[in-house]
Amino acid sequence: MSLKSGYFKKRLHADLSEGSAKRLPLEDTFIEKYIGGRGFGAKLVWDNLKAHSFKLDPLGPENLLVVAPGPLTGVYLPASGKTSFVSISPATGLYGDSSIGGRFGVELRQTGVDVLSVIGRAPELSIIFIDNSETKIIPMPELKGKSCLEAEGLIKERLGTHTVHIAVIGVAGENNVKFACVNADWGRNAGRTGTGAVMGSKNLKAIVVRGYRDIPVYDVPGLVAETEKACKYLEEHKYFKMWQQEGLMNVIEYANEKGILPVHNFKDSVFTKHDQINGATMLDHYKIGDSACFSCPMCCSNICLVKNGKYTGTVVEGPEYESCAMLGPNLGIDNFAAILSANRLCDELGMDTISAGNIVGAVIEGYEKGILSLADLDGREITWGDEDAILDLIQRIAQREGIGDILADGSRRIIETWPEMDKVILHVKGLEQSAYDSRPSISMRLAYATSDIGAHHTRAWTIAKEMEEGQNWSDDEKVDTVIYHQKLRPLFDMLGVCRLPWIELGLSERHYENFYNYVTGKESTLEQLLELSNDVYDLTRLINVRLGTSRKDDSLPYKAWATPPLTGPNAGRVIDRDDFQKLLSLYYEKRGWDEDGIPPAAVEKKFED
Amino acid sequence: MSKKLTVIPELCSGCSICELVCSIRHFGIINPKKAAIRVMTTYPHPVLRMPIVCSQCKTPACAEVCPSDALRWIDGVIRLDEDNCTSCYKCVEACPFGAIYVHEDCDLPIICDMCGGEPECVKHCPKGALMLIPEAALGEARRINNVLSYTQMKEIEYYEKGERKVIHYAEIGKEEL
Repeated sequence: MSLKSGYFKKRLHADLSEGSAKRLPLEDTFIEKYIGGRGFGAKLVWDNLKAHSFKLDPLGPENLLVVAPGPLTGVYLPASGKTSFVSISPATGLYGDSSIGGRFGVELRQTGVDVLSVIGRAPELSIIFIDNSETKIIPMPELKGKSCLEAEGLIKERLGTHTVHIAVIGVAGENNVKFACVNADWGRNAGRTGTGAVMGSKNLKAIVVRGYRDIPVYDVPGLVAETEKACKYLEEHKYFKMWQQEGLMNVIEYANEKGILPVHNFKDSVFTKHDQINGATMLDHYKIGDSACFSCPMCCSNICLVKNGKYTGTVVEGPEYESCAMLGPNLGIDNFAAILSANRLCDELGMDTISAGNIVGAVIEGYEKGILSLADLDGREITWGDEDAILDLIQRIAQREGIGDILADGSRRIIETWPEMDKVILHVKGLEQSAYDSRPSISMRLAYATSDIGAHHTRAWTIAKEMEEGQNWSDDEKVDTVIYHQKLRPLFDMLGVCRLPWIELGLSERHYENFYNYVTGKESTLEQLLELSNDVYDLTRLINVRLGTSRKDDSLPYKAWATPPLTGPNAGRVIDRDDFQKLLSLYYEKRGWDEDGIPPAAVEKKFED
Repeated sequence: MSKKLTVIPELCSGCSICELVCSIRHFGIINPKKAAIRVMTTYPHPVLRMPIVCSQCKTPACAEVCPSDALRWIDGVIRLDEDNCTSCYKCVEACPFGAIYVHEDCDLPIICDMCGGEPECVKHCPKGALMLIPEAALGEARRINNVLSYTQMKEIEYYEKGERKVIHYAEIGKEEL
């Protein structure tokens, strides 16, 4: 069946150098092949790369930034508030994307566009204001140096309205910190791969949206019936209430028990003071409210307030598991109020908590091991759990002061400057690792190594399954699961929805085939959608290959194979390098890529038109 | 007995499902901007999410200003007489809560009709932040909360089979009032 609805069939393209913005038609063939979200992003980034003969500076005006919701964004179904930010990543120099929840993408769709692309560089710090049908590029140099929240407030004041949604960068983005994020509606972040720095390099402080249009849906009654089934399943799930209360903070206890929590820069994998920083502590002493993404009954986000002590008055949307783990145990911080403070600081500076936690952790360990001298640290000592020094270092990274100027460029520059730091910093392809210690899970290691954006868990998260299955899990099953995840999880990003109802509460992925069909009027199967998602995975691989990636980059950080965790149930365990290479070869074989991880020449033809 | 649609902002997560189901019920489409309810959000001080919806006032300011008598309170619900409405939107400005909405596609103002007595928003709110309660029960939640937050309240923490429990008790007469 052909495409009947679900799209506005419009791309809004802004050229900041020219100061122009125009709406371009989107062809059905493009829409049906790439679906939306990261699918649209990957194709537009690929076309732009080709136009630049595969040579572009991620922080140059020629890098295309794509903001893409999906056909299900804003629709009535569980957690439909997702939008992808896609570009060539300044952190990795390769394909990068990160998705953002909340309501920003819904509002963007309601302006009548399916995707926004931005190129060029504004002559001075500016915002793009998409006000329903009209788009304006407005210089606002007065926003320079403002935190995300301050800037949001000033923009609303200047535009004279509170009913806009704003994706904004902080000082970190302005200063091209390579792990700067894009912040929306205060508490939401497209955290990874440095899309905030891409905005900064374009002199683009914020994208402001306000839309009123109907969201196109082919069969509303059909969709509603499907959604009610899905919501009923979720609401009857035994963990639904717990999920509403704790959200992702419940993972702290799980990770600690299983010995996969990052502690002291992954030196340890259990945290003795875990009960001071877990979900129960948050509920008892800090949580003051819930926050949900658009159309999500699970409301996994927490709002926390520090009510006494030196951080009194700190209010933050969060933390979620990654931020809490990376800014807490990973830095030896056992004071939940200090974690909230660091989380708030990262939000205000517009900096990714995962990369920041990794880099600060590596600096502390590097200093402890004598790789970094006190002079390298500008004379300011830093040790595990030293809250003041840690908050100060986060500030200096965003401001690029002293050592912060090197740290702001991420793992690769750090290792170039101090080669021995390679032994303490965990990254793949230049992107720092998520908060799951993978030394007891070779399939998770494979997931990190083959993720198209670097060491992030968004593409495949097999660690829980492997902890369950243990040694009984064959290599075939491991690779198949990683590849299945790499098809399904990015599909959620293409559709513009959140994967958590599926991964956390087990909502069947079959629902999404029906959601997609009710919205578009097509009769696609989940298998067909997964194939389209897989094609996009081939495309992002192709982008990376053309930018120099091969087997050598699908790698293990030093710690994964050479430095076992000192404590916990997995103490002493590392990944065997030969086992890993064997698994990687099997992975390439199943994907149809050659021994060096290169897709066959015929693959490129798929993306020509 | 009349029932009231009440909002408990402390429970609202801001998911906007109320807006979605409202637009589906009344227009058969998906557009939160065409709903008769809207979640307003403020942050960081105070962090608040508050759905704004018609309170069904018995002396409705909207009806009072209506020059064509198109808004009337019938059986406990304010009803819009579509034939008489002139779309002057005086009601929108007169409502003390801002609970009447305007959308460029629609000539008529958008106002809650209580879905014939079973509001969709109440049925679908995943947090129980929207409730339909008898008028006489209004204020009960606030009354009980007020009792519970009584300033002289003390708490004792204890463990039963390893599980942490807390008992509250009022130490009346022992503290200076």
